[in-house]
Amino acid sequence: MRNARSKQQFDALTRPWRDRLFGVAQRQAWSREAAEDWTQETLLRAWRDFGQLTEQGAMYAWLLKILNRVVADDIRRDTRRNQLAPMLTTDDAFLQEQACTSAGPFEQTVQTQSNEQLMKAMQALPDNFRQVVLLRDIEGLNYQEIGQVLNIAQGTVMSRLSRGRRLLASLLIRAESRDGLAATSIHGSKST
Amino acid sequence: MNDLDKTEAGRFSELHLELQDWLAGYVDGELNEHHTAIVEAHLVGCEACRADVARQQATSRRFHDMPTTRMPIELHKQLDNALANTPDYSEQAPSTTSRFNLRQWLTGLYRPAVVGAGGWAVALVLAGVLWLPDVGVMSHGHIPMVSDALADYQKVALTDLPALGNTTDSSVPAKLAGGRLLASWHTTVGGEPAEAFAMRRGNSLVIQYRISEQVLFRNPDVRQAMATMGDYRTRENQLEVLAIPMKESGLLVVGPANAMPATSDLELESI
Repeated sequence: MRNARSKQQFDALTRPWRDRLFGVAQRQAWSREAAEDWTQETLLRAWRDFGQLTEQGAMYAWLLKILNRVVADDIRRDTRRNQLAPMLTTDDAFLQEQACTSAGPFEQTVQTQSNEQLMKAMQALPDNFRQVVLLRDIEGLNYQEIGQVLNIAQGTVMSRLSRGRRLLASLLIRAESRDGLAATSIHGSKST
Repeated sequence: MNDLDKTEAGRFSELHLELQDWLAGYVDGELNEHHTAIVEAHLVGCEACRADVARQQATSRRFHDMPTTRMPIELHKQLDNALANTPDYSEQAPSTTSRFNLRQWLTGLYRPAVVGAGGWAVALVLAGVLWLPDVGVMSHGHIPMVSDALADYQKVALTDLPALGNTTDSSVPAKLAGGRLLASWHTTVGGEPAEAFAMRRGNSLVIQYRISEQVLFRNPDVRQAMATMGDYRTRENQLEVLAIPMKESGLLVVGPANAMPATSDLELESI
């Protein structure tokens, strides 16, 4: 009886966050199946540790923290994804050379790219960068909350976010120039 | 270039590299005033960092506008089944059971001391009730608009949120710092039609209800609180309800106590 009540309470508290949790998983996963597995594993672990939850108001951050551990465990098994995070400064030659890196053209580039293209760029980021960009720019968490979820200092959140967004911008610009070149070559071959 | 110029250039270069990691904090308003001033002073003379700030703002805005992913129904069912089949990990429910055994502790004490301490405890509680200042959170008793809003909030927390439809942020009665509109629907509060707006604030769900003036001012306790404090607040378990008058309507805000805004943080649509 008590178990049923407890499960009911768990369900009431976690169900509203299922979609968002799945969204975060999907944006980090290499396949839909992996995202589904991570979401399920997260909720099962959450149920197992439900008795340790002290603040019901912080349910989403708690679930994200568990998801983060689930993803980390899985990624650790998949060594292909252990990449060194590249360092990119604002003076990077690539950012200086491209025409669409200035404010107006870049805004246009970002706006014209589809959600799928944006997510592809997001998924290409190294894990450390992707997590903070995802939690800040899509999930809307503040630096303190991100720090708690990922167990890192707020200063680290800020530096990873700065570097992650810079790298993301360069990936989007590269994708845009590739698409532009492809379109030019298609149109060029048609006209000849 | 003389030595002084070289030193200046070196300092600029050092600061330029250091500030690269602060730019996200500047874009997100997470820097304190002092650091914001340093970044702004640097941005005046650094085109590369200005462009970086603009790119960060553009990507952040674009991702922020992306729609929420919906979980497939089959996965919901799969999760329900998986959870139903999991074992009971002890008799758990957060914060409902205490590991501290009060009865055991009391039996270990010398009886007259327990009686004496109990008397003092009762006296202190009574003194607290009489002398403590009013903290502004009242008991709502059975005010229909409060019960209705709480019931609606709890119902929504148990089900999927309704679709957002054509509702935009500008339709929300009160702008909430850090709040994002998730869904809106029509409901009944205090026996009259009301509009509901579910917002995400941090990690919590906060719902605003636009209600009629008649419903808002129906209860004498609420009227009294409005007249003396400008608003009415009440709490039930972990949920708090805030009632505020608006121009020709009323606003109820319901959410977890730790996610509730101060009245001064609300930018009301019209008052």
